[in-house]
Amino acid sequence: MINQIGAYSLYICLFVSVYLILKSYISSKNFDKKIDQTFFATLSVQLLMTILSFFTLVFAFVFSDFSNITVFNNSHTLKPLFYKISGTWGNHEGSLLLWLLVLTFFLFIFFVTSKKMNVRYRILTILFQEIIILGFLLFILFTSNPFLNIFPIPDEGLGLNPILQDPALAIHPPLLYVGYVGTSIIFSASLAALITKTVDNVWASHIKNWILISWIFLSVGILLGSIWAYYELGWGGFWFWDPVENVSLMPWFCLTALLHSIIVLKNRNVFHSWTVILSITTFSLSMSGTFLVRSGILNSIHTFANDPSRGVFILTFLLFLVLLAVFIFFFNQKNFPDTYQRSFLVSRETSILINNWFMMFFLSVVLVGTAYPIFLEVINDAKISVGPPFYHKLIVPFLIPFLFFMALGPNIKWIKDKIKKLNISQIIFLILSFVISFFIVLNTNTNYLFSTLLFTFSFYLFFNVINSFQKKNSNLSQKVSHLGFSIFMLSILFNGILSKENSANMKVGDEINFLNKKLIFENVKVESDSNFKKLVGEFKLNDNGKIIHFKPEIRVYSQPETITSEADISSTLFSDNFLVFSLIKNDGFFNVRYQHKPLMIWIWISVLLMSLGGVFSFFKLNEK
Amino acid sequence: MKKIILTVLILIITTFYSNISFADQNKNIDHITKNLRCLICQGQSVYDSQSDFALSMKKLIHIKIKEGNTEDEIYKFLKEKYGEWIVYEPEVNKNTIFLWGLPLILFIFGGLLIIRKVTIK
Repeated sequence: MINQIGAYSLYICLFVSVYLILKSYISSKNFDKKIDQTFFATLSVQLLMTILSFFTLVFAFVFSDFSNITVFNNSHTLKPLFYKISGTWGNHEGSLLLWLLVLTFFLFIFFVTSKKMNVRYRILTILFQEIIILGFLLFILFTSNPFLNIFPIPDEGLGLNPILQDPALAIHPPLLYVGYVGTSIIFSASLAALITKTVDNVWASHIKNWILISWIFLSVGILLGSIWAYYELGWGGFWFWDPVENVSLMPWFCLTALLHSIIVLKNRNVFHSWTVILSITTFSLSMSGTFLVRSGILNSIHTFANDPSRGVFILTFLLFLVLLAVFIFFFNQKNFPDTYQRSFLVSRETSILINNWFMMFFLSVVLVGTAYPIFLEVINDAKISVGPPFYHKLIVPFLIPFLFFMALGPNIKWIKDKIKKLNISQIIFLILSFVISFFIVLNTNTNYLFSTLLFTFSFYLFFNVINSFQKKNSNLSQKVSHLGFSIFMLSILFNGILSKENSANMKVGDEINFLNKKLIFENVKVESDSNFKKLVGEFKLNDNGKIIHFKPEIRVYSQPETITSEADISSTLFSDNFLVFSLIKNDGFFNVRYQHKPLMIWIWISVLLMSLGGVFSFFKLNEK
Repeated sequence: MKKIILTVLILIITTFYSNISFADQNKNIDHITKNLRCLICQGQSVYDSQSDFALSMKKLIHIKIKEGNTEDEIYKFLKEKYGEWIVYEPEVNKNTIFLWGLPLILFIFGGLLIIRKVTIK
């Protein structure tokens, strides 16, 4: 019964979508001054139907309705309520339904908040957005219907992948999806603005809010995924350059570039075509992210559910959208102002171009690194792995000039500025940064010129941002975000050079000494929770008289049968102490890995600060 | 001015890479196993994995280091045995020239575009 409600409401959505595409196409040809009221009505119907459909699925999960195949495949009666709910989007079908929900919700919000804009522009945005919605509806209904029946009705479900039964990972996908889907509005709106010749500063300040929303959610979404990987995968790192991580990072680079270039468009009314190109690219990357993750062609720890036929559908759909966008872009070239304006070398415009330049470079590294092995295997049948060393070698050296430009950029005026001969404060900052960095690197026995330079320019940026807080002219959100980034760089660098770790095989009662510390394996206990059994280890670390107790766990889930390691982390503002243990075949022995990670928590805080800058900008806290 | 910037840039880049190759000589087993893919795992390095494969691999590398093999020799040995797939850092050859080169070409291209933007009349 409940399956029918969910499925039928999706079919209603489908009809509304087809209707809206025709309707908006026809209306866009007639230059009415007023917008037809039926748009509001039909969009509301579509939104309500999607909400109904989505909550039907949530309902089926909450009440463990195993007549629904999605619930049967991904849930279990013994699961805690929270994970029953999050199980709704912890699988392929449900996550697509969530995509759809956000798509329709955002379109609705767009419609009601864009009343001041050009009527034809609004209608065309609906048209493009509905094309995307239609694509997703067809995809859901014909390849991944979450409302299929199963008969006879099973008594028990198969359970959710235990690795997903985690608070951070329960809310990580929705946040990421909001970010991804937000880029669809940017895509549709820039195509619409291009056709209606309204790519200008008014449009820029209107679309900037959507860029900010996507950017904030994407940033926080990536952050949560990273925190999860840190404590759940048990490796103690926060970024592994795993393909699935990379596909979320790519739209982020693009969106960050867009966020900067839209400011130029808003303030100076230049960079029209570049902004549109970025909008199209950002959305294509979000879509291809979904495609790559869902198709299962990536070799990654994150591939939970995949099916090649689905990949083919998304790929075709993505190609169609990209071709449509490219087609519209080239046939509406005349709609851009035809003056190719010069920028002055020392100007805010150029400094933002430089930001975009680096963002595109970082993006290209990640894109090539992620996609290249796939193509190489298809074309040449050669299998290669592209891992952290590749990304580090290509990205890290470029961070030095990037940090330098980032420190200077916000101080430079629009249009044209002068480099003051020997700006005393800048020179002091630079020397101070260098001296501090020199001694830091000296004390850690990593006497590379290179680390010193990285530290120097990170500090240089940090000092510049701190200094900018006492100036009144520049805007708060930029300062907060840039402060976040400088802290981010510094904490990564400190973390990188000061982290210590020790890995050993131990049995209960063992005691090991390393780095002036003593680690004792005191006990191991078997406990059981509602849906898993666990081994709880008890460790005592004596760090120069300071005692830390650790209770890491090894969880054994029965539905489906999986073993996970839960690290025990004691966090302070200065450092994290991380301990994880895992089973090995040798009787009675466990592999115990201890890590000391300085300033770990600041990596998370700094990303939150960056996002907070975005929030400030969204709520217009810059304008007094 | 431009020449100075360029020289400094080249200097930084060359020192960075020479530093890396210098550092390569005294890296230990952890460093090597972090750069190796655990072939039977899903996206884990040999270092991070506790699988049988990873454990025997760690033993093997331990022996190889004791025998006096350098890092590069160990990689070469493993690549011959298991294929390129096992190392996380692909070497530069005709298959991977664009992997390494494409981002750099794009970077130069982008730089040229910006120079054009600021010098055009």
